[in-house]
Amino acid sequence: MTATRTPPANHFQPIDPQSDASPRPNQIDKTFAQIRSELLATFSPADWESYNHLVGWLRDTGVASYALNVGDTAPDFLLPDADGRLHSSEQLRRNGPLVLSFFRGGWCPFCTAELCALQAAKDEFENLGATLAVVTPETRHFPRQLKQSLGLELKVLSDVDYAVAMSYGVLFRVPDETKAHYSGLGFDFGARHGSPVWMLPIPATYVIDTDGRIRSAFVEPDFTVREEPAQILSSLRRAASTS
Amino acid sequence: MELHQVRYFLAVASTLNFTRAAEQCNVTQPALTKGVQKLEQELGGQLLYRERQLTQLTDLGKEVLPMLERTLASAEAVRRRAKEFQRKEVAPLKIGLAPTISASLVLDPIAEIARFVPGLQVELREGAAEKLVDLLLEGEINAAVVGDVRDIPPRIDDWSLFEERYVAVLAPTHKLANRPSIGIDDLQETVLLDRSGCDVAPKIKRSYFPEQPPRFGHCSGHDLHLQHMAAAGFGVILAPEHMPRLPMLKTIPLEGDQVSREVRLLAVQGRRYSPALDAFVKVARLRDWSIEVRHRGTPQETFSEVASASA
Repeated sequence: MTATRTPPANHFQPIDPQSDASPRPNQIDKTFAQIRSELLATFSPADWESYNHLVGWLRDTGVASYALNVGDTAPDFLLPDADGRLHSSEQLRRNGPLVLSFFRGGWCPFCTAELCALQAAKDEFENLGATLAVVTPETRHFPRQLKQSLGLELKVLSDVDYAVAMSYGVLFRVPDETKAHYSGLGFDFGARHGSPVWMLPIPATYVIDTDGRIRSAFVEPDFTVREEPAQILSSLRRAASTS
Repeated sequence: MELHQVRYFLAVASTLNFTRAAEQCNVTQPALTKGVQKLEQELGGQLLYRERQLTQLTDLGKEVLPMLERTLASAEAVRRRAKEFQRKEVAPLKIGLAPTISASLVLDPIAEIARFVPGLQVELREGAAEKLVDLLLEGEINAAVVGDVRDIPPRIDDWSLFEERYVAVLAPTHKLANRPSIGIDDLQETVLLDRSGCDVAPKIKRSYFPEQPPRFGHCSGHDLHLQHMAAAGFGVILAPEHMPRLPMLKTIPLEGDQVSREVRLLAVQGRRYSPALDAFVKVARLRDWSIEVRHRGTPQETFSEVASASA
């Protein structure tokens, strides 16, 4: 191995020893809301403090008010997946609606729970002719590692340099207090994202039709709350019946 | 944050003048000021000092500027791709490769982006890392793939792609050719072919030749020259593992794998990204490079069994 070296502050730490979270077994049949309460029950006082601070700050700052909404044109994108293969939004929504879900990263247990719930519902999405793509700010081997560890067959797209989250208005700079908390837990977003400034998306799920218009939008500053797959599926059915 | 707020801030950062920035963005000055203020609120501090005629970036402004520039460049590259696509424009992409980086490394990424950038025309340039940094800053090349580099200027973005070890490459007739690995003593008694301008030379010296210099034979800055000389039995080369080799040559690991390096991608901050460059940088930063380097690619990937709930 090479000797450990300390790069200058504006260069990115390449190696991150943190391994990613995996879901507990036998959680597949539960709704996301059930898993959420179980996860919340394991919060330490420091977790609660950080959680309340971040969610309070996001609400006060009105970050979610910038997010795109139903009826807006969905910005196009070209992003690599976990294996470095490119996908364009035009291609993803060519033959049916696109479900685009922004999540925070493989280090976040609420995200991994959401991803597993989406994976479990994958066939139902396909039966409705919809394409499901989840978007992470993480780069390098992190999305690949996440897919492997969770056994995901979803399209995991990497929003390299955050341009898509920014275009959808769901990007924010991680406040200093939150950054200190996550750093303390060993999460190095600098290494994960390849960016010296720590940014995260607000978890958000969009349904985009074949014309590139947003048909449903779920944007929630409380990162422990996600749209249930059943809910997304009913949005898809509703959109299909009104188009 | 909103895209147009970021655009306003970047316009002020480049003109240092609110009036001109507003003209550039095609909005009124109050609208521009309001957008910048909202961005400041969200980023948690002032981005600009406004003192009468003088507008300057604050420390926070300087800190977030490169990232916001890159994000906006990437967002705009997508829009430009659509235009290029319609007009069937030529999309040039100039990539610099350090002498120890094989062109074989970038072939797959190039093939991948060609699927989405139809007019793609790649030009590869070879040069020492320091030279490539100059070419980047001069705008002569758009991206560079290099090994170890000292002193990368702050204006250059630098992403680690993968780590690889150095191995010994020699002719099958060489007396060390049947060893499972080559140790420090053997290496010190062997004639090495000298790679001029070698970026890991200091590491090799530190690990294998701390006291006396290597016994160098012939020399070249070109990997293929060195390979031909090694094949002719002139000596042993130390080469990065990903480097494709002439079929008759043998590769033997160095005992303890003490010499390795990171392969890095460089691009210039704050420059407009062409759709081709944007796609190249993205593919390179996600690619599984362990395909090129079988023994050691990405960092050790270990998976924990149980998630811990942490906010």
